[in-house]
Amino acid sequence: MKRRLALRDKGVLILFALPGLLYFLLFKYVPLLGNVIAFQDYNIFKGILHSPWVGFAQFERMFGFEDFYEVFRNSVKLGLYSLLFGFPAPIILALLLNELKSMAFKRVVQTVVYMPHFLSWVIVGSIFINLLSYEGIINTIASKMGLPKVDYVTQGNTFMAVLISTGIWKEVGWGTILYLAALSGINPNLYEAAMVDGAGRWRQMRSITLPFLMPTMVVVLLLSIGHILDANVEQVLIFLNPLVRDVGEVFDTYVYTFGLVGGQYSYTTAIALFKAVIGIVLVFGLNAISRKTTGESLY
Amino acid sequence: MRKPAAFQSFLIVLLTVLSLIMLAPLIHILSVSLSSPLYAQAKLVYFWPKGLQFAVYKKIISMDEMWRAMGVSVYITVIGTLITLALTSMIAYSLSRTTMPGRTWIMRLIVLTFILPAPLIPGFLLVKSLHMLDTLWSLMIPGATSAFYVIIMRTFFRNVSGELFDAAKMDGCGEAGIYFRVVLPLSTAVIATIGLFHAVYQWNTYFSALVFIRDKTLYPLQVLLQNLVAKKGLNNFMGEVQFELNMPVTPEMMSAGIIIFATVPILIVYPFLQRYFVKGAMLGSLKE
Repeated sequence: MKRRLALRDKGVLILFALPGLLYFLLFKYVPLLGNVIAFQDYNIFKGILHSPWVGFAQFERMFGFEDFYEVFRNSVKLGLYSLLFGFPAPIILALLLNELKSMAFKRVVQTVVYMPHFLSWVIVGSIFINLLSYEGIINTIASKMGLPKVDYVTQGNTFMAVLISTGIWKEVGWGTILYLAALSGINPNLYEAAMVDGAGRWRQMRSITLPFLMPTMVVVLLLSIGHILDANVEQVLIFLNPLVRDVGEVFDTYVYTFGLVGGQYSYTTAIALFKAVIGIVLVFGLNAISRKTTGESLY
Repeated sequence: MRKPAAFQSFLIVLLTVLSLIMLAPLIHILSVSLSSPLYAQAKLVYFWPKGLQFAVYKKIISMDEMWRAMGVSVYITVIGTLITLALTSMIAYSLSRTTMPGRTWIMRLIVLTFILPAPLIPGFLLVKSLHMLDTLWSLMIPGATSAFYVIIMRTFFRNVSGELFDAAKMDGCGEAGIYFRVVLPLSTAVIATIGLFHAVYQWNTYFSALVFIRDKTLYPLQVLLQNLVAKKGLNNFMGEVQFELNMPVTPEMMSAGIIIFATVPILIVYPFLQRYFVKGAMLGSLKE
């Protein structure tokens, strides 16, 4: 009787897991297998099973194509700049918030700075395209102050800065949460002891706060380097326009525009696969290095 | 620590400026949408409406396609979130039980999807072969759950007291009974957190609609907004409407109004979001 019940319970558990398991297999693993079209000349009417195999021809084509190098360069550039400015920004903000004595004020600031995270890129993009346009408020104010007007979103030399700064505007507040959680775990006695020993604000930060933040910083850094080539496709698509395509086109927008819209399925899948492999190598490689040097790792 | 008061004032000033930078863009857009076209054209509107009027919003609420897109967004948000909660809580519960066969391997399979990126074109071909293109399922099913959601829920379920389980078993509850009568009622916090996470994700659905939806009547709000505002589709559209209704509105004011219209629903739920989101983001930071 008891055995039968246990068997029934097992059956129920398997039944519970089944839809979710099917979901992961179908929507996460089957598309990975679908990557094989990178080695085919995929034809939508013939399907994966009947499309001709072409070996590495799509990759050869990719390396021989000027577009590819442009897109690669833009992706690397956007990734590096995002990391350079986007990684320290929430750390600095979290440290500032942590120094505040007034809890009420801190809560108000947090409420305000988290808010943009919840707005879609369409909304944030529309807002900033409006503000930064030639007739927008930024240029109105600039020209009143005697400064030249600049059409930020359509100029090659300012486009990247628009992407980076709007990215920070949207996510800096949200990014503080992990760091604030780590900061709240520090025992205040440590600071008191340090003050007794005559440590100033900087010394306390260097010897107490930063070591406590280290694990979080390493994890966030590792993950962001792993994703360095993954631009936010929604963000870039919204800001991208014909005037800045040569500096603003990144892997993800290229795959969307030329692959999905343009129908070059096999070729762009090869490009996406190339990018994905770089990402995976980066994550595993850096994780191994980090484990050896700092003792911190993702898994 | 020499001049704590001065340092605090400096911090307060700095963070106030920062908060204003976060708010100013929205306030400016709102002011433009509420001003009279005379001032808006002359670029005299900054952070306060001049010549207050509501013509823009009167026009927006008379746009059928706006309400249709709003309907689509509400639909995919409500139904999509329910699907997500059912799917995620069931597998998370099952994986939280030690009696579940093969649970370590299933968990590994799921965690691995964290690192493996899902490719766009093969994903599109899959959805196509499932005959989901141009249906609202394509906006709800392919993103229905994630390793992140499953890990958070499983961690939470595992912390529900084991004694309660034993007591429920004594009372003759099977696994299904424990799930419905013990685990779910005790897990409202995590269910609300994941539910809100996902609801915002669904509400902000944009790229998947671009990929999967061709039929204009199935556009969610974000896609319509993007077509009208960012891609300047408004100019053509405005031409007709302005002629018909002859309302005092410029295209720029119109786009400002549409932006605000699409932002308001998020701002209304934001206070609830913030409470649960912060909790959720911290839960997510727990390492397995």
